[in-house]
Amino acid sequence: MSSVSPTTIHGQAGVASRNRPLRTRLPKRWYAHLILIGACLLSGIPLFYALLVSTQTNAEVFRYQFTPGSGLLENWDVVFYERHLHTYMINSVIMTLGITIIKTIFSLLSGLAFVYFRFPGKWIVFGFVLITLMMPTEVLIIALFRFINDLEWQNTFLALIVPFTASATGTFLFRQHFASIPPELSEAAQLDGANPLQFLFRVLVPMSWNTIGALAVVQTIYAWNMYLWPNMIISDPSMQTIQVGIGTLRLGGGSLRFGPLMLAAVIVSLPPVIVFILLQKQFMSGFTLTRDK
Amino acid sequence: MIVSPVILLLVGAVIGAAALGYVFRRAGRWLLLGLPLGAVAGGFGAILFVAPLGYCTFETEREQLDAIFGFLLVAAGIALVVLPISWVAGRLLRHESLVSTTSQPTQGTFKHWWIALPLLVPTLTILALFLYYPSAETLRLSTMLSRLGARREVSVCVDNFTRLVEDPEYLDIIGRTLYMSFFIVVLSMGLSLLIATMAYLPLRGASIYRILLVWPYAMSPAVAGIIFLLMFNPSGGMVNYLSGNWFGIKLGWLNDPKVAPWTIILASVWKSMGFNILFYIAGLQNVPKDLIEAGAIDGAGVVRRFWHIVWPLLSPTTFFLIVTNVTYAFFETYATIDYLTPGGGPLQSTTTMMYRVIQLGVYNNDMGKAAAQSIVLFMMVIGLTLVLFRTGGRQVTYGV
Amino acid sequence: MKKIVLVSVVLVMMLALAVPLASTGAQDEPIQIDVWISFQDYRLDWAQDVAAEFNELYPQYQVNVTGGYSYETMFAQVAVAAEQGQLPAIVHYFEAATQDARDSGLFKSISEAIGDRTEINGLPIDFSDYVAPVVAYYTADGEFTSMPWNTSSAIMFSNMNYLRAAGFEEPPATWDEVEAVCEAVMALDDAPEYCFTFPNHGWFFEQWLAQQDALFVNNDNGRSDRATEVAFNSEAGVAILEWLDDLYNKGYLYYSGAQGGESWSTVDQAYSTQQVAMAVYSSSDTTLYTQMGEEGGFETVASFYPYNDDTGWTGNLIGGATLWLVDGLEPEVEEGALTFLLYFTNTEWAADWHKVTGYIAIRNSSNELLEEEGYFEENPNQTVAAAQLDQSTLTPATSGALVGGFPSIRNEVTAAIDRVLLTDEDPAAVLNAAAEASNVIIEEYNLLNAP
Repeated sequence: MSSVSPTTIHGQAGVASRNRPLRTRLPKRWYAHLILIGACLLSGIPLFYALLVSTQTNAEVFRYQFTPGSGLLENWDVVFYERHLHTYMINSVIMTLGITIIKTIFSLLSGLAFVYFRFPGKWIVFGFVLITLMMPTEVLIIALFRFINDLEWQNTFLALIVPFTASATGTFLFRQHFASIPPELSEAAQLDGANPLQFLFRVLVPMSWNTIGALAVVQTIYAWNMYLWPNMIISDPSMQTIQVGIGTLRLGGGSLRFGPLMLAAVIVSLPPVIVFILLQKQFMSGFTLTRDK
Repeated sequence: MIVSPVILLLVGAVIGAAALGYVFRRAGRWLLLGLPLGAVAGGFGAILFVAPLGYCTFETEREQLDAIFGFLLVAAGIALVVLPISWVAGRLLRHESLVSTTSQPTQGTFKHWWIALPLLVPTLTILALFLYYPSAETLRLSTMLSRLGARREVSVCVDNFTRLVEDPEYLDIIGRTLYMSFFIVVLSMGLSLLIATMAYLPLRGASIYRILLVWPYAMSPAVAGIIFLLMFNPSGGMVNYLSGNWFGIKLGWLNDPKVAPWTIILASVWKSMGFNILFYIAGLQNVPKDLIEAGAIDGAGVVRRFWHIVWPLLSPTTFFLIVTNVTYAFFETYATIDYLTPGGGPLQSTTTMMYRVIQLGVYNNDMGKAAAQSIVLFMMVIGLTLVLFRTGGRQVTYGV
Repeated sequence: MKKIVLVSVVLVMMLALAVPLASTGAQDEPIQIDVWISFQDYRLDWAQDVAAEFNELYPQYQVNVTGGYSYETMFAQVAVAAEQGQLPAIVHYFEAATQDARDSGLFKSISEAIGDRTEINGLPIDFSDYVAPVVAYYTADGEFTSMPWNTSSAIMFSNMNYLRAAGFEEPPATWDEVEAVCEAVMALDDAPEYCFTFPNHGWFFEQWLAQQDALFVNNDNGRSDRATEVAFNSEAGVAILEWLDDLYNKGYLYYSGAQGGESWSTVDQAYSTQQVAMAVYSSSDTTLYTQMGEEGGFETVASFYPYNDDTGWTGNLIGGATLWLVDGLEPEVEEGALTFLLYFTNTEWAADWHKVTGYIAIRNSSNELLEEEGYFEENPNQTVAAAQLDQSTLTPATSGALVGGFPSIRNEVTAAIDRVLLTDEDPAAVLNAAAEASNVIIEEYNLLNAP
């Protein structure tokens, strides 16, 4: 069930519908197309307009010109040469990679421990992890802020990465996935004399790319889009991440210049959108939701 | 002192002993073990929160409200300690397994159970240091008057909480948070379901539609705020220009306290719909085709078929989405608000509870009050999650 | 795959560790002097350019100027850095932080650091060269606690195209005149959407209060003794709210809904898009507002901040920020920091700073220089703020308030203005409530911070 790809379903359904009489087919499609086109327009117009404005000067924006303007080069200059957006982007890339990779590995390890080991007090440890699902970082962010300051991690990647490297979600995702893998595999591996880590990386990981991919997509987007925490803990602009850094384009230099701001917004949105669209399939198949066990 | 700590201890012990005694009696065993265990647990629970405060809520010179709050703390402490112990003891006595969420393979486990420890250490350490410790620290801070960089810290008992009860502005903020969250969740999920039922149909170009519909999920709440700022700002925004030209209406999208929350709601719905559509399409694909076709043969109309066959089958998806959307509406909207109406909007009309916490804790450097409000927010989220789990969570295997 | 994953983890870990190490890594020479500036825009660029020139002139020092996001966030940032002992050599603090800075014990008075020297590294020291209002605000017991740099006052910018069309050759000077001009401007055929706007930043309320010679906090605005209560909920304070509310209810006043540090850009935008005919603003952006007019095809005239007809005009406050010298620096770092401060605010740079921004030229010698160049004659808008401060009568009210937790109190004031404009509540009651909340802030601040 977990690996049924959307395209197959659609292929089948498409064949089925072709056999139906024309009368029942047409109106249904007509409505659907209308609603979908409307929805695509509504979700697309804001971005499309942002794209337009990213090529415009402020004067053109306020003239409500709905064609590409003449300010792209100038806006590009402002974004990268005056405001050094690339610094923020590099920081965000490091933070995102750090969180995603370390979190995935930690989750794999703890998933392995929960499924392939029986140890005393397992339910307490499990409860310890489970309860954190109900503890969003946001509600303890004030204390976390103080704690990170006590650690003197302010303005470092440690502050941006380390607190987010453990996750109940990831642990459960892998626990769930490993539990669905036939136990014969691990028995066979043990007979071959593989230690748990070898088993994990040689057997489990190759069988878990969909789950890993799903977790990676979620974490990449989550980390890349993080705003509140970097905003609090990073005060040195050279260490700032992109979602906060983009705000510097809003400040100063008089009237808000929309062109550079939109250019930056578009550029910033490209990486997660591309990652997401490319890995959409893994994303969905890794997160199959079933109504029964 | 209105009540002496000894009395609290005794009351707690009696309640604890009664509760555990009941559990043990029902199991019909070891009543003599249950009573003292319950007494210790209850006594400990009774003073769990008030002892670190030095029983300050019961000082005679404090207000009545503080004493009431103190008794609530005592009750909460007893419940927090006695209930889990009763639950665990009950299950143990009935020989039931404690964790029953998914089946555990009994074969294929490795020997040397202690190897599991180093595998768990990274996750457990991080969770302990960066989730559990800050939680405890939040509790401590919530009873303090504390500023970063100040010479000293002063304990203020439970003032940070009791003042909230008397603060109409804070009650407004709670109402506003619920109001905005409700509309974000309902609008986003309702529209997504409608669109998903269309996008799931066998249409020409369905995969293109799908990509065009789901990408906003990857946008950040911050960028959503920035793009909506471009369109909705009252000085030169496109929306007012067009609506002014076409209908002669200009709205104060960001500076009218009645409209501003709706701008936030719109931006958040726009950003979160992609995610919901994606999961609803997946959920619809899991609905067996033969069930729908059977309904069609019975002559059930589209709406009836949807309502009686598809909707119940979608409930795990719906439940999962409600949980993630509520979390989104409570926390993630912070960035959208911060870019659209920095400072929290006219008349604080876009100030959510989360936004307020940061305003207080970081910009006003008033960490104690911020911590107290964090705890109120925490209780609300826990409460909502519990309600959701009770009403619909049982069918779902896990959430994200 | 395993290898790739492992290598990436190691790489990330190394990067994570290397970056903070590199920034704190020891270097033999030159002596590092870190400076935190509360700007992130062209004003930061200017400061960095000056630092670069300084580094060339004095190769024994390396001044690193880092920008922050705003005054308000710099304030929070310093509190955190202080807790960790990671302060730079020089911090750029706005006027509202003066009391907190003095209480914190983090900074060393400039006068004390200089002692009785008359020059450092060949740079002359002459405190008598600073213009009077600056000396008045930033000295305590006659001593400079911090080094003045960017000093402004609140003034008004008018779009003369609208005003002339409505029959006015001069910008209005008083509240009633503003109202009269607005009535005429709004009656024009091609009237702007609104007539007048202001940033809802506490500073503007304070300016109107000072003009009426009314105190913001007790104990002579915190100057004769530590302030313990606010005084802004006086008749003068209520008058301000009533006037603004009146303008708002008549549809003259544009209020963007943004408060505090966030309000500036909304006013910029309303003025540059000609949504309003007049805006009060900080003189810090005089250059920019004049340019906005040139680019938008209208003439901008700067004038004094409008005052209450009933109470008359006593004077205006200064605003802006100063540079604070961190206490406990290595002697050679402190020496370098002082050298930089003197260089950074010398006659030529102070004059250039004025031209680039509109902050007043804080040295008498700079003003003479600009006068000689004929700059003021060519740019009459640039003289307004200095003249306004010059003509002000110095009283406790016009010297500005010194009070702990000032930034938080400002939030209470702006929230009160917000409430009065957007609801029908009674201005006096709203202001009293804000005063009550502010008193709690002061009480708590003094409890935690007073020595």
